[in-house]
Amino acid sequence: MARNTAEEALPRELAEVRFSQLYRDHEREILRYALRRSPDPEDAADAVAETFLVAWRRLGDVPLGDEARLWLYATARRVLANHRRGVGRRTRLAERLREEVRRQLPAQPNPERRGVLEALAGMNDGDRELLMLVGWEGLTPSQAGRVLGISAMTARTRLHRARRRLRARLSDEAGRPTSEIEVGEAQ
Amino acid sequence: MRLDEIDRELQRVDRAPASVIDRLELGPAEAALLEAIVAEPALDGAPDNAALPWPSARRRRLDLLGLAGTAAAAMAVAVLLLFGGGASKSPSEAYGAEVVRFAESTPLLLLEGPGWRVQNVTQQKNGDGSMEFVTGKPIPYERLTISGRDKTRLYVSGMFPPAVRQRKVELNWRRGSVPEWVATVRQMPHPHGQLWVKAPVLETRADVDTRAESYVNQGGPGNRQMNAYWSEGGYLLEMRAAVPDLAAFEERLGWLTKVDSETWLEAMPAKVVKAADHDTVVREMLKGIPVPATFDPKRIPDEGVTTNRYQVGATVAGTVSCLWFRQWGQARRTGDEQAEAEAVKAMGTSRRWPILREMNADGDYPETIWQDSAAMPSGFWDWGPHHWRLLPHAEGLGCARWGIPVLPWKQRRQNERAEASGG
Repeated sequence: MARNTAEEALPRELAEVRFSQLYRDHEREILRYALRRSPDPEDAADAVAETFLVAWRRLGDVPLGDEARLWLYATARRVLANHRRGVGRRTRLAERLREEVRRQLPAQPNPERRGVLEALAGMNDGDRELLMLVGWEGLTPSQAGRVLGISAMTARTRLHRARRRLRARLSDEAGRPTSEIEVGEAQ
Repeated sequence: MRLDEIDRELQRVDRAPASVIDRLELGPAEAALLEAIVAEPALDGAPDNAALPWPSARRRRLDLLGLAGTAAAAMAVAVLLLFGGGASKSPSEAYGAEVVRFAESTPLLLLEGPGWRVQNVTQQKNGDGSMEFVTGKPIPYERLTISGRDKTRLYVSGMFPPAVRQRKVELNWRRGSVPEWVATVRQMPHPHGQLWVKAPVLETRADVDTRAESYVNQGGPGNRQMNAYWSEGGYLLEMRAAVPDLAAFEERLGWLTKVDSETWLEAMPAKVVKAADHDTVVREMLKGIPVPATFDPKRIPDEGVTTNRYQVGATVAGTVSCLWFRQWGQARRTGDEQAEAEAVKAMGTSRRWPILREMNADGDYPETIWQDSAAMPSGFWDWGPHHWRLLPHAEGLGCARWGIPVLPWKQRRQNERAEASGG
């Protein structure tokens, strides 16, 4: 990813202006990203706070332009991984956001959705994240590759395989054969 | 279903579509979060996961991540030492060539003050490292919590009293430039103002930040946090100490002594979980832990280098847990109710495992095992309203890294690799 050219710490005022813009541009995207991966809305709010705290502390490393969004996704991914391993923490920073998200969002998923989500949950981490980045965040395979730290070519190959695996899992669960599905396969 | 329909299938189960999330009325809460974040100290260029500018006791959490096999962890730990008594054998005999090489990769500094000793040494693969020196009783991990804020100034709770904090000195090293680092530190919040002086250390002079407190309710007359920065043998060094006054800090700087590797290792107390003691320590840690029939003490990985009890404890408890989770998964797949019940019962005792109870004071690895154990009867790890399969989560304990993958596809891959290497 392109890096900010500033090698030294930004003056505080400039840092605040740039960070505020970054936050305004991407906070909802990161909230959506976190909500999709952490079923507890309060944990998602914490992840948003931690992600932007890392961005604030490493503002010189945050790329400019749309690359910033990918950098934030990659950071949020690590933050959420820490949460899942039990090393995340409730942060006072996110108190109000936690309350509001909890109050405004329904807590229970639609049971009809469970089959797809479970099929997704059963996949390995890399495949699952690739599918979600493309399917939910709307990234191109190349952009998803940058979030995951893999080349565009590798991302495309893995995405193709991941889609086939997910389809096979869904077909298994639905009790349908998969042999007829190859026709019209997306490249 | 066509492959390009997969994305649409996923979009149908999107829990957080823009059409819903962007309509939430979060403005004031988002503004509050923005305000709170920019009130935090900004440290441009700090490493991932680091809330503090230098290695500290937080390293133990990073070690945990290493055990869990994350990328962050892969960089975290090369060697850790945690000590207690005095060495009797020569360093090469007692520690082996690997540890001597480890010693030589540090700046080889000791704080030779009367009654002071090494409590902890940490070194990362990239050469960054830290040491803790204490006098009197050992000083445990200090868990700090931000308890409040006043515009850009922070308050903290959980800090040890001055009498304890003044019994400890931290020495940190990494590659870097002193002027650049001092310029960065000068930009960080100093709630009691800034007062910098020069003070002699070893053969040079250090820049000393005599008001290095990070929090409003930290320090004051008779209890100052002071940090010194200087260059030594290509390293950027930092000495941190809570002291009554500058004279006491200068005295501690004067105690720093450059030594050779043997002297440095001799200063390391003897209660080291070194390679020679590894099996004994493992046997002791296994007490009170039910093990499955597939367990063999040889499964406990011995990295061949010196390490601390938390790391060894995680490998012991993690190895046994992975075996139980693997048995549990296989039993569920084959319908072997007896084997499944045995695994659930064994892991149900994990809250009483002595080593996990000991480790619980120093990190969150035990809690992860306990949560996974509690999820065994249902087979799902419930997190809020979500319903994740347990095995992928249990795999995160580091099972594959220790050669005990619990997920079937990882087991297959392990077998294929074993066959390939055998053939």
